[in-house]
Amino acid sequence: MLEIKNLHARVNPEEGADLAILKGVDLTVPAGEVHAVMGPNGCGKSTLSYVLAGHEGYETTDGAIRFEGEDIGELEPEERAARGLFLSFQYPVEIPGVPTLTFLKEAANAQRRARGEAEISAPDFMKLARENAAKLGISNDMLKRPVNVGFSGGEKKRMEIFQALMLAPRFLILDETDSGLDIDALKVVAEGVNALRNPERGMLVITHYQRLLDHLKPDVVHVMAGGRIVESGGPELAHKLEAEGYDKYAGEAA
Amino acid sequence: MNALVKLSAFEAALAEALPEGDLRAELSARGLPHRRVEDWKWSDLRTALARFDPASPALTLTASRSPDRTAEPEHGERLMARLAGALGQGEVYELAPGERLSLDIRAEAGAGHKVIEVIVPDGAEAALHETYQAAPGALANIALVIRVGAGARLTRLIEQDASPDGVIVLTGELELAQGARAHQTTLGFGARLARLETRVRHAGGGAHLTLDGACHVGAGLHLDQTTIVRHEGPDGITRELFKSAAAPGGRAVFQGKIHVERPAQKTDAQMNHRALLLGEGAEIDAKPELEIYADDVVCAHGNALGALDAAALFYMRQRGLDDARARALLTESFLMEPLDAVADEAERERLKARLRASLGAVS
Repeated sequence: MLEIKNLHARVNPEEGADLAILKGVDLTVPAGEVHAVMGPNGCGKSTLSYVLAGHEGYETTDGAIRFEGEDIGELEPEERAARGLFLSFQYPVEIPGVPTLTFLKEAANAQRRARGEAEISAPDFMKLARENAAKLGISNDMLKRPVNVGFSGGEKKRMEIFQALMLAPRFLILDETDSGLDIDALKVVAEGVNALRNPERGMLVITHYQRLLDHLKPDVVHVMAGGRIVESGGPELAHKLEAEGYDKYAGEAA
Repeated sequence: MNALVKLSAFEAALAEALPEGDLRAELSARGLPHRRVEDWKWSDLRTALARFDPASPALTLTASRSPDRTAEPEHGERLMARLAGALGQGEVYELAPGERLSLDIRAEAGAGHKVIEVIVPDGAEAALHETYQAAPGALANIALVIRVGAGARLTRLIEQDASPDGVIVLTGELELAQGARAHQTTLGFGARLARLETRVRHAGGGAHLTLDGACHVGAGLHLDQTTIVRHEGPDGITRELFKSAAAPGGRAVFQGKIHVERPAQKTDAQMNHRALLLGEGAEIDAKPELEIYADDVVCAHGNALGALDAAALFYMRQRGLDDARARALLTESFLMEPLDAVADEAERERLKARLRASLGAVS
C-alpha cells in the first residue's frame, strides 16, 4: 500500500543549512497492517512523516514514495490528503477563529471534490461528528472551539484522532501521538486508533516509546537510526528496545 | 511650507474653480497633500490625482431620506474638507431617535465634492451607514461632520467598495458630547487611493468611543485609515481595533493618534493595529502615536505585523484544503475580529459575507 524506496531527503536549502536527514529509507506497509517506526531523537522519524505528507520544508533528493502504486513524491500536501494520507501531528497547530467542525467539513468536502465524489451534507456530517466525538469522550463544547485552540496537549492528540475518524483516511501516519498523553488518555486515543484498523487501511506509527504499541499491537516494528531503517522485526523488538535502549544503534547516527 | 509648487493640471483646474481667497491661495501655493506632508506621507494624493480630469463631475448621493436642510453645513479645518465645502453642495441631517440613516456615495466621473453634517440629538440612539465608491478616473471628496449629543448613542458603519483607479477621500469629524457613545466600524477594500480619515473630539467628558476597522487590500489598491482622537474632557474611553491585510501589490496604511489634553484626567484609551502581509510585494505602513498631557490616565497602543502562519497552512493542506483556500480561511479568521463586534446580527453576517467574497472564499 505504502512503499518507500531508498528515500533521501534534506532540509530545503531555502529554509536553512543543506542538511541531509533521510539517507535511504526503505519501508513497505501493506494494506491492513500497522507498522511502527521507533528510534532515538534526531534519527529522522518526524522528518519521515513530514516528507510523506509533502511538507515544503524538505526536499527529496533521491528515491521514491509510492502510494497504492502511484508515485506521490511530487504531489502537493492536499493532493496526498485527497488520496487518503492522514498525518496525526506531533504538535497539532492552533488555528484561532476557525471552528473545528467548519474546518473539518471543508476539509472533508475538499477531499471528496478532489476524488470526484459527492459532498457530505451538513446533517450527515453533524451526525457523524456526534458519533465519533462520543467514541473519544469529546464534548460538544470542545467541538465548538476553534481548531486546537485552548486544548491541552492530550486533548489536541484526541482531536487529531477525532479528525482521522471524521476524514476516514486510507492510511494514517501517527507522529509521536503518545507524547503528552497520560495513561488514561493514551488508552482512549489507542482505542480510537484501533477502531480505525481494518483490512483496507494501513498505519505507520512513529514513536519513541513502546507504551502506545502495547495498545496498538503493531504487525512490524522498524528501528530507525541515522536516517535509515536499521532493523525490522515483530512486536517483541519494541520491548527489546525499551529494555536495552537505542545505544547499540548509536554507530548508525551520522 | 509656502514654497511654490508646480501644480498638476488637476490642481490648477481645482484652484481655477475656487473663488479668490485663502483657500485658493493655499492650494495654488502648496498643491494637494503629498508624500512630503507628514500625515500624508504614505498616501500621495497629489500623485494619485495628477492625471485625473476634474471637469464634468458626477457624484451621486443616495440617502434613505431627504436632508433637513442644504445650507452651510460644518466641514472642519482640513484642506480636503475645506475644498469639499467650497466646491460641493451641503446637506444636513438631524436624526430622529431610533433613526437609521444610510448614505450611498458614488463618484462616477470628474472631481465630486460633498459636505454632510449629521446631528444625533441629546439622548437619542441612531445609526449611520455609509457606502463609498469611485469609478475609474473619478474622485469622491467627502467631508462629514457628525455631532453626537449628550448621552446620545451612534452606531456608524462605513463600507468602502473596491474602486480600482478611483480616488476616495473621506474626512470624518466626530464630536462627542458629555456621556455620548459612538461605535464606528469600517470595512474597506481600497482604491487607486482611498483615505478614510476619522477625527474624534471627546469634547465633553465620560464619552465612550469604539473605532474598529477591517480591510483587505488587493493588488493595485491602496487604503489609508487615519484616526486622530482628541480627549479634551475627563473620564473618556477610547478603544480602537484595526486589522489590515494586504495582498501582493496592495498597500494598507494605518495612522492612529490619541491625544490626551491636560483636563482629560482618567482617560482610558487603547489602540491596536494588527496587520497581515499576504505575500511578497504587499505593503503595510503603520504609525501609532500617543500624545499625553494629563497625568492620571491609562493609555496603550499596540502594533503588530506578520505573515500567514506557515505551520497552520501546512496543517490545513494536510487535511485536504488547497493552498488558496487555506490562505483565505486563515486571512478571514484574522480579519473577522473587528466585524464580530458589530451588534446587529444581520449587518454583521452581511459584512462577513462581503469579506469572504473578497477573499475568494465562499463557505
